[in-house]
Amino acid sequence: MLGKLLFLLFLAHSSAEQLCTPGASNGYKVRLSIRTALGDEAYAWNNNEMFLFQATLAFAMRNHFDGQNFQVSNIIVCDETPRVSFWFVVTSPTNTSRLVDKDEVELAVRNSRNRINSAFLLTDRTLEFLGIASTLAAPLQPDTPPWLIAFGVVMGAVGAAFVILLASSIVQKKRKKKNTKEEDTEDMEDSDGETQAAVKRLENGNSRQEVGGISNVSFLDDERVTQM
Amino acid sequence: MEKDARPNWDSPMQFVLACVSYAIGLANVWRFPYLCQMHGGGSFLIPYLLMLFVEGVPLFYMELAVGQKMRLGSIGAWHAISPYLGGVGLASVVASLYICLYYNIINAWSFWYLFNSFQSVLPWSQCPVNANLTGPVEECQKASSTQYFFFRETLNISPMIEDTGGMQTSQVLCLLLAWAITYLFIIHGVKSSGKVVYFTATFPYVVLIIYLVRGLTLPGAINGIKYMFTPKLQELANPLTWINAATQIFYSLGLGSGSLIAFSSYNEYHNNFEHQAVIVALINSGTSIFASIVTFSIYGFKATVNYENCLERTRILLLNAFDLAEETISINNVFDWVIKLNASHPEQFAELGNKLEGCDLTTELDTAVEGVGLAFILYTEAIQNMPLPQIWSVLYFSMLLLLGMGTMLGNVTAITTPLRDFKFLAGVRTEVLNGTVCLVLMLLGLGFTTPSGNYWFSMFNDYAASLSLLFMVLIEIVIISYIYGIKSYIRGGAPTYQAWDKELGKTVLTNYSVFGQVFIGLLLASAVSCVPLTALHVYCRNRKHGDIKDEVRTESALSTRFTVIR
Repeated sequence: MLGKLLFLLFLAHSSAEQLCTPGASNGYKVRLSIRTALGDEAYAWNNNEMFLFQATLAFAMRNHFDGQNFQVSNIIVCDETPRVSFWFVVTSPTNTSRLVDKDEVELAVRNSRNRINSAFLLTDRTLEFLGIASTLAAPLQPDTPPWLIAFGVVMGAVGAAFVILLASSIVQKKRKKKNTKEEDTEDMEDSDGETQAAVKRLENGNSRQEVGGISNVSFLDDERVTQM
Repeated sequence: MEKDARPNWDSPMQFVLACVSYAIGLANVWRFPYLCQMHGGGSFLIPYLLMLFVEGVPLFYMELAVGQKMRLGSIGAWHAISPYLGGVGLASVVASLYICLYYNIINAWSFWYLFNSFQSVLPWSQCPVNANLTGPVEECQKASSTQYFFFRETLNISPMIEDTGGMQTSQVLCLLLAWAITYLFIIHGVKSSGKVVYFTATFPYVVLIIYLVRGLTLPGAINGIKYMFTPKLQELANPLTWINAATQIFYSLGLGSGSLIAFSSYNEYHNNFEHQAVIVALINSGTSIFASIVTFSIYGFKATVNYENCLERTRILLLNAFDLAEETISINNVFDWVIKLNASHPEQFAELGNKLEGCDLTTELDTAVEGVGLAFILYTEAIQNMPLPQIWSVLYFSMLLLLGMGTMLGNVTAITTPLRDFKFLAGVRTEVLNGTVCLVLMLLGLGFTTPSGNYWFSMFNDYAASLSLLFMVLIEIVIISYIYGIKSYIRGGAPTYQAWDKELGKTVLTNYSVFGQVFIGLLLASAVSCVPLTALHVYCRNRKHGDIKDEVRTESALSTRFTVIR
């Protein structure tokens, strides 16, 4: 009786081992890089950690298949290496000699990937399921690309500079025009007064020495002279 | 009356700063360090400094003299010296025209990178994710994220120069901004340029000093500096070293393009330009050497980072392939383990095959890059690994912008000054003339914003101004520049360019098609032919006037001088 029991146990164990082999068609290789991820705070890999792995994977399978109660014993692990890498296969809870399909396992793992990672304080990069691609975060698309905002600021500043330049040149022109108009009216008054003086000096010569140069006034007041 | 009087610089200092701002451009930052590396590090300084005193200073002095004494732009000045030489001035203006067209696109790219630096994660530091979110975009993975950002997201480059496409909106906007700022700087001629150069000439030095301190404190910087300054004296026997030294001095000082003549034509007649010529030439070379120290410390840092990343990848590869515990191989004994594993598991090791990359620090340092690749790919790669990369990125691209804008001032002034000297344009206001020139150049420059724009840029960069400038100074001073300059253009084989292959994720050497070669011929011919054609035209015109040709010539030369001076 005891012998039969032992024999059956041995059979079960070996069949489980036969289900899980490196390179199994329905299995996946897992690789953990604990030291890379955690450095000095790395934990040692032991049987307890392996138990946690089996439990989390059973959890992932339960989430994927509603209703089926996966147990820790449904996750069979083999070929453990010092790297901390191993193969695993998943057996169906209803029939322990039947393996769950590779694709179903992949979907289950992908859906619960974050939870599995956090159980071990690892990331997609440090807890690798070889053959299962990780779903990367969707890129954040802002409404306006950030470069356009910076461009708008600088372009606005340039536009403002142009407006200021234009305004200042117009103001300067107006001021100059006002100044020259005042000078013109002054000049005209002066020239009237000077003409009188020039008329008196016309006998002395047709030109008169001014501060800026020689101004020939003989043509200026032609009318007056002629009238006289 | 006051409007037609020739404007002047507010002070001789403004003139010196304008020359410094023009001469110190991007070539000091991205061409000189490359030449230093190619031609034996510290020993390149010997031909470089020799050429500076034999070729650079005398030619610089001559151009300043021509402009200051003639008080005209390049066309008028050469015409006044002899009507047969009027073509030299015209050729200068054509060369400056080409330079203006393609140079501002670099400023547009600098703006693009500057604006993209205001993000928490620099966009060139990581590859974008592909459509089904499983990994990075394939093209980006094969190349690197910085290369991908430049060739794909900035330029959207096409496989060949013939494949054009629509203009890139982002590049058009940046080019528009670059031209708007250029116009803002030169709007009142030297009155506005003179004030701007105080900033454009001095700020780059501030950034260079900051970068020098940052660069020298980076890990691995000393590798780069050692590599650069280790002299390899056997390079001095290579004639190409001397040719490159001569051409570098020539182009770095901006000789022959008419900008120096234009700048000095706004000087007081008795300005002491002898001292100024020497000062500017020395500042220019000093800045080149200074910038190359910065560049080499950055090189050293980047090479060290890449080397360490390579070692890490090899380590992971070995750990995964042989399933060893993580602590067994550290980054220091990777090579020992490679030998050990090769001995103990030869077949398994052979299976690794090409996945195992050889990591070598010297090979990383040997990747000499110049030009656009250095500025926009290599530097950004180094910056993304620094702490607080956004600040460094903003500083760096602002510096590039100021260097580029300073040179653009000179380039555009070289065109507007001779135009102003023409009788029929004398009545047009400065602002309107400068604005029209900027607008026309911008519209023509839009061609560089197309997907094949970078290839056109390379073509212009290599051919548009290079040979024609040398030819012009050949006419100006015959012997030395001719021998060294022409020799570097007698190359064997067809002209080629680097085309980006998006499947391979790298650049490949491609021959120009017939269309491309014809265009190169046109570029070269259009500037160079101005000289003989103008001489021919003047000769024919003088012959037509027969006996009184001497009188006519003297009279027309004199009247030209008086009309334009007023």
